[in-house]
Amino acid sequence: MPSRRRTLLKVIILGDSGVGKTSLMNQYVNKKFSNQYKATIGADFLTKEVQFEDRLFTLQIWDTAGQERFQSLGVAFYRGADCCVLVYDVNSMKSFENLNNWREEFLIQASPSDPENFPFVVLGNKVDIDGGNSRVVSEKKARAWCASKGNIPYFETSAKEGTNVEEAFQCIAKNALKSGEEEEIYLPDTLDVGTSSQPRTGGCEC
Amino acid sequence: MHEIDIHDLSDDADYAASIQQGSSSMNRSDSSKQSSSGEQEGAEIVYLKDNVAIHPTQYASERISGRLKLIKQGGSLFMTWIPYKGQSSSARLSEKDKSLYTIRAVPFSDVRSIRRHTPTLGWQYVIVVLSSGLAFPPLYFYNGGVREFLATIKQHAYLVRSAEDANVFLVNDFQDPLQRTLSSLELPRAVSVANSPSSAAAPTDGETFDRNSAYLQENARQWQKHNDPARDLSIQVLEKFSLVTRFARETTSQLFREAQGDGFIPNDRRKQDQKTNDYPRIAESNDVQKLPEDVQVPADPLEFDKLSLVWGKPRQPPLGTEEWSTFLDCEGRVTDSEAVRKRIFYGGVEQGLRKEVWRFLLGYHSYDSTYAEREYLVSVRKSEYETIKNQWKSISKEQARRFTKFRERKGLIEKDVVRTDRSISFYDEDDSPNIKCLRDILLTYSFYNFDLGYCQGMSDLLSPILYVMEDESESFWCFVALMERLGPNFNRDQNGMHSQLFALSKLVELLDSPLHNYFKQKDCLNYFFCFRWVLIQFKREFEFEKTMRLWEVLWTHYRSEHLHLYVCVAILKRYRSKIIREEMDFDTLLKFINELSGHIDLDAILRDAEALCICAGENGESCIPPGTPPSLPLDDASMYYQQDDDDVL
Repeated sequence: MPSRRRTLLKVIILGDSGVGKTSLMNQYVNKKFSNQYKATIGADFLTKEVQFEDRLFTLQIWDTAGQERFQSLGVAFYRGADCCVLVYDVNSMKSFENLNNWREEFLIQASPSDPENFPFVVLGNKVDIDGGNSRVVSEKKARAWCASKGNIPYFETSAKEGTNVEEAFQCIAKNALKSGEEEEIYLPDTLDVGTSSQPRTGGCEC
Repeated sequence: MHEIDIHDLSDDADYAASIQQGSSSMNRSDSSKQSSSGEQEGAEIVYLKDNVAIHPTQYASERISGRLKLIKQGGSLFMTWIPYKGQSSSARLSEKDKSLYTIRAVPFSDVRSIRRHTPTLGWQYVIVVLSSGLAFPPLYFYNGGVREFLATIKQHAYLVRSAEDANVFLVNDFQDPLQRTLSSLELPRAVSVANSPSSAAAPTDGETFDRNSAYLQENARQWQKHNDPARDLSIQVLEKFSLVTRFARETTSQLFREAQGDGFIPNDRRKQDQKTNDYPRIAESNDVQKLPEDVQVPADPLEFDKLSLVWGKPRQPPLGTEEWSTFLDCEGRVTDSEAVRKRIFYGGVEQGLRKEVWRFLLGYHSYDSTYAEREYLVSVRKSEYETIKNQWKSISKEQARRFTKFRERKGLIEKDVVRTDRSISFYDEDDSPNIKCLRDILLTYSFYNFDLGYCQGMSDLLSPILYVMEDESESFWCFVALMERLGPNFNRDQNGMHSQLFALSKLVELLDSPLHNYFKQKDCLNYFFCFRWVLIQFKREFEFEKTMRLWEVLWTHYRSEHLHLYVCVAILKRYRSKIIREEMDFDTLLKFINELSGHIDLDAILRDAEALCICAGENGESCIPPGTPPSLPLDDASMYYQQDDDDVL
């Protein structure tokens, strides 16, 4: 049996303003999409119960303001994170190029104990827009970047239509759990997910 | 009559007058002045007591007698206390001052507890403590009747005697046993300090509240100095008496100085600087506070701020066009801007008049300008606006392609304006011209103040202004005026926000030290959970109309330039017991605060905020560093300096 049971998994969603962080979170937790979201000021979070095998976890998903100017607040919100979700808009090259800044800023501010292996998940959102015709970041390009950063799992999503959102968050939860285990030293065979020898892959097989 | 101590003069002209007054019929206009449901139809007076007084100072001549009533209406019980009119015995308290003490229809749902005091000598009195933690000053029952008062409340509201202290009665105490213990602990603790063996030097006769609080206050300092664990108790006492304000405090310290001669206090006690120390400082437990050596100047009684002992005046109806015209001279100058600002502070402005009045409140128009001058200014400003707007309007597509900063800034603004107040009909159409107008103004502003640029939250601040002004250029200049004060909120280094959140933490420390200690223990002293409140002036916390009401009150700068910080304290105090009881940590607290949105009673909070502001007095202002927004920046050049690598501009 594990020496300590973790019940709370903390996930931080980062990315440029307007890429759909709040929408993704709401789609996953409340199965709702609204055209009337307001720009997030400060930070907020939603929680959702998730089950792995016979164990229940509370996924605490943090949504933060997307404007870079508010990054200095991050230190208060990022600490104790188990997984970081980087979101960009497939229709905006700039939002993709900024992923690297977001990733680095997160590692500086959250200062996880093992930054090399800290779990990130990348989401390319808004694939529904204009039937994909206004897309400027190709899947190939995105996957290449993810591979270069230690095989970060990658998903293409539409918060509006709910495409791939559940799958993405399953993977996020699983990676958060894995990160928590490494930190808190579970006996390795209590769960079939996230055994320590399992390498992370470019996609996520969950 | 009872034997009364030396400060409680028995040849009490005021008392005699009040007896007379009480027996004669009460002035009708008094009760008709009640602003709320107090005596409307269907109201039943279930308790009435004449000659119930408050003692704002130790001077018998300044006591205020009045009539205490319990009124039942619509299943709810209300309490009122109205001072008698025309008591001329007091030279120093005007009718206006007296009316400030009036208790107008407080519902018992807002009351947390009532404490009964039965001094061996002197009159029985009660202290009514509100759920917010604020307390009314003691009500002295000159003609008895405390028992009947409590019995009547018990008949009509939920009232239980505290298990810990037979003199404390808890109202609306439906909570679990744990909470009951917690809430009942607070006042009895106060008493345990007053009656503790260590307080042997305390006056034991029928002292007034003033005297006791002077003693306690002094003891608080002593305890602090000696690092006595009991000091926490004394702090709680003072917290309970949070409405004993400078007025009372100065009197009490005066009393204390008299007491000093009686050898109550060790002679080596350091003299205190009244200005900074007349409210207890809450020091770190190991931080023995060095009090400045200062010559003790007896407080001048004439300098007392008679407005101090207030708990927030009731809200008034908003200022209307007709009344507004009385503030203007024939050429359109506002003759008494202080009076206007005070009027708006207590009532706000009618929607139709906002367009005119906001320009003054925001500082776009000066109060002493004439109609003609303003008309001229508007036309000049209009062409100035067009000039600045043209700076970006004239950027061609080709040019924009090589102007990344411009494209990004525009993109950011366009993303935000389409998600600003879309539930308001003014902005709800998808291609609303008002949304485009928001965009144009914000983009123009980002050229007007290129260093500050655009930052999220600005669209929230602009939206109500455009809604009120209904004119692009005028909205722009009003927004510019607002940003003169709030611009630092959006600085890249966040210095404006940090100084406000710092000041907030100091104010909570001053006005609610137990809550401060709680936040400290939970590592919440960064106050980031109040970030949204402060950044956009509660824009997301109230519905649109209420936000406009709050803003115009804040913009009067009537009590303080920083009333918004007292609003923060007032809200936190209102929920303090819930926060502490539920042991909220940073995450839970942030969530709780975010979810308060739409559930805050603006009028009640404004009253509390005013009371807290008055309570804190100069000590409150000294918590707020110079230049803290919305104060005008100390040095414009440095405040707006932005680093070049700000890639979102």
